[in-house]
Amino acid sequence: MDTALTSPSSPNGPRRAKSRSLAGIIAAAGALALGLSGCGGTAAPSAGPSAPVVDPASGKGASGSLSICGGRDSVGLYKGTIDAFMKANPGITAKYTVLGATTDESRTQAVQRLQAKSGECDLYLTDVTWTPEFASQGWLQDMTKVTDAVKGTLISSTVATTQYKGKSWATPFYTNAGLIYYAKDKVAKPETWQQLYTEAAKSPGNGVVYQAKQYEGLTVNFLELLYSAGGDVIDDKGNVKVDSSETRKVLDFMAQGIKNGSADRAVLTYDENATRLAYESGKFGYQRNWPNVYGQLNATPLKDTFGVAPLPSFDGKSSGSGVLGGWNLALSAFASNPGAAVAFVNFESSPDWQKHVAMDYSQAPAGEGAYSDPEVLAKMPFAKELLVSVKGAKPRPVSPVYAQISAAINKNVYAVLSGASTTEDAVKNMADQMKTAQASF
Amino acid sequence: MTAPALILMALVAAVPICYAIWLSLNQYSLLQAGLSRFVGLGNYVEALTGQDWWKAFGQTFLFAACSVALEMVLGTGMALLLNLAFRGRAVLRTVVLVPYAIITVVSAITWQTMFDPTTGFIPQILTALHLPGAGVVWLGEQGYAMAVIVMADVWKTTPFAALIILAGLQAISQETYEAAELDGAGRWKTFVNVTLPLLRPAIVLAAIFRTLDALRIFDLPFVLTHGANGTQSMSMLAYSELNENRLVGQGSALSILTFLTVMIVSAVYIRFGGGNIRDIAREDR
Repeated sequence: MDTALTSPSSPNGPRRAKSRSLAGIIAAAGALALGLSGCGGTAAPSAGPSAPVVDPASGKGASGSLSICGGRDSVGLYKGTIDAFMKANPGITAKYTVLGATTDESRTQAVQRLQAKSGECDLYLTDVTWTPEFASQGWLQDMTKVTDAVKGTLISSTVATTQYKGKSWATPFYTNAGLIYYAKDKVAKPETWQQLYTEAAKSPGNGVVYQAKQYEGLTVNFLELLYSAGGDVIDDKGNVKVDSSETRKVLDFMAQGIKNGSADRAVLTYDENATRLAYESGKFGYQRNWPNVYGQLNATPLKDTFGVAPLPSFDGKSSGSGVLGGWNLALSAFASNPGAAVAFVNFESSPDWQKHVAMDYSQAPAGEGAYSDPEVLAKMPFAKELLVSVKGAKPRPVSPVYAQISAAINKNVYAVLSGASTTEDAVKNMADQMKTAQASF
Repeated sequence: MTAPALILMALVAAVPICYAIWLSLNQYSLLQAGLSRFVGLGNYVEALTGQDWWKAFGQTFLFAACSVALEMVLGTGMALLLNLAFRGRAVLRTVVLVPYAIITVVSAITWQTMFDPTTGFIPQILTALHLPGAGVVWLGEQGYAMAVIVMADVWKTTPFAALIILAGLQAISQETYEAAELDGAGRWKTFVNVTLPLLRPAIVLAAIFRTLDALRIFDLPFVLTHGANGTQSMSMLAYSELNENRLVGQGSALSILTFLTVMIVSAVYIRFGGGNIRDIAREDR
């Protein structure tokens, strides 16, 4: 990893070819190949985490233009934060660039720019799972000091998502953790997953819906149960730990839940949105979903009929422990205005702005103080439950090959849930595929 | 004057394709800081001896065979209807193209919603009428998931096939039909013995277009199942290696294999598909 070979660099990265027009095969192949061509020699500038440490004071008196790049601004949080930031820092002109509609698309777009050492974006909005990949490529600046300066006010699990090899490569913007929404008139607030499933099996209208389509969402849903059962996927040293009795127990439990009808078989086709729509039909007792569903659910006739609970524990063993979502801000190694970028990071991570993240945009703040703020509680009455979920949550497996590890999880878990594979085979496959993925790095 | 055009063509098509072929001969991960190693045909051997490629290959061909066959039958029927003289025919010809104009990803989400076991209207109708398929989680079941993907594709692209076939239909001269009528052929006999043979080049042309597209299918299974339940296409496999796993060498090899498959199939079509495709192209003009 420490040898950066010199090879011709090129501005493009991989891009998927999915032209379905009549342009014909040549055009399609050409487009694909064009996309591929960019993947040619992409030597990382300084491979490995040996970047200079950014000084938090470098944001003082910064001026000029600042460019922040990331995913779709669905609730207006990025634009809103930028506007407030510019008001507080009149010398800086900041703008937000949307890199893609989906998480995957914005990762591709970010990677293309970073590979090309583009100075277009000073700050990248990064998904919590991207930190190891980006940091290991030498694409980011060491933000340890900047993050440490605000660490005391942030929830420690959110800080953990910025870490790779003992350093912080980003600063948390906002976080996310799963919640259980339940029909107060039909079912009890769940303390354990077992209790939830038993309650769900009692009557067809009590069922639970969650995300079990074969995609990243299923990885998260599975990890939530696995973590709360005390299991793990890979340890700090990168050893694969997934072949364990906890994994078998959780897989059997989830498969049994679908078999006995606690969970509707339809979950095999559900992502977050489909889960929400199914729950809104009023035919279910529980749904596992993210905090943003609260507002949407409140706009339906189900308003006032549902409660919000933190994720339950498994077997009453430990307190529930979820999986952290959320977004961080990472400073590009090729940033053209790092001073202004640091000023922005200092602004968004301040306790005052973290309150606005919750109050004005209904996102889960990374700052702990916001959760007990009266103004926030007025707008987000489930803040207490959310804080329990966020604090108990763990990051997803920390690895530069996270995408492959996630695929190994969701493909094999799906196979068990849909009845295509036995638990035993799936566990073995999962472990093998993870080892292969790690060997490819 | 052709030299600049040729150079441009070379730049746009040939160079990148050659480069993709070169990449496919290397073991190269984007996660290894530009480290790349020549492995010859290693990536191809790996793909062709593993299960994933052949699974995706079979699933893609199953999809292509089912969807193209249905599209040709339904497209011919639709073309015959649109060829009838009636008021508002011009409007209808435009209207039938609407599904084709909708972005595939959007129509995929629509189909997903339609087949949702809780909120979708199709399972609800099936259950209410006690029809076969009631109570099935369509997108979560082996076989059924492929059926939905085929249906969504047929819904979207049959109008396109119909338009090509309609062009062929209008190229058949009225005199041929008059002669058939003089011979005392009935409607069905005329269709089978006169219309269909003369329509063959148009149908083959439509089938070629549709097959080539179908073999490159990506968006429908990507949105509807993410490749679960036996619906991972060749393009999806290449995408996941290339874009999700960042294995450029393997991903390129899979892309080239997909490309070769499509080339071979089109060559077979043109050689054995019968019907002179160049003729119909000329008549169109």
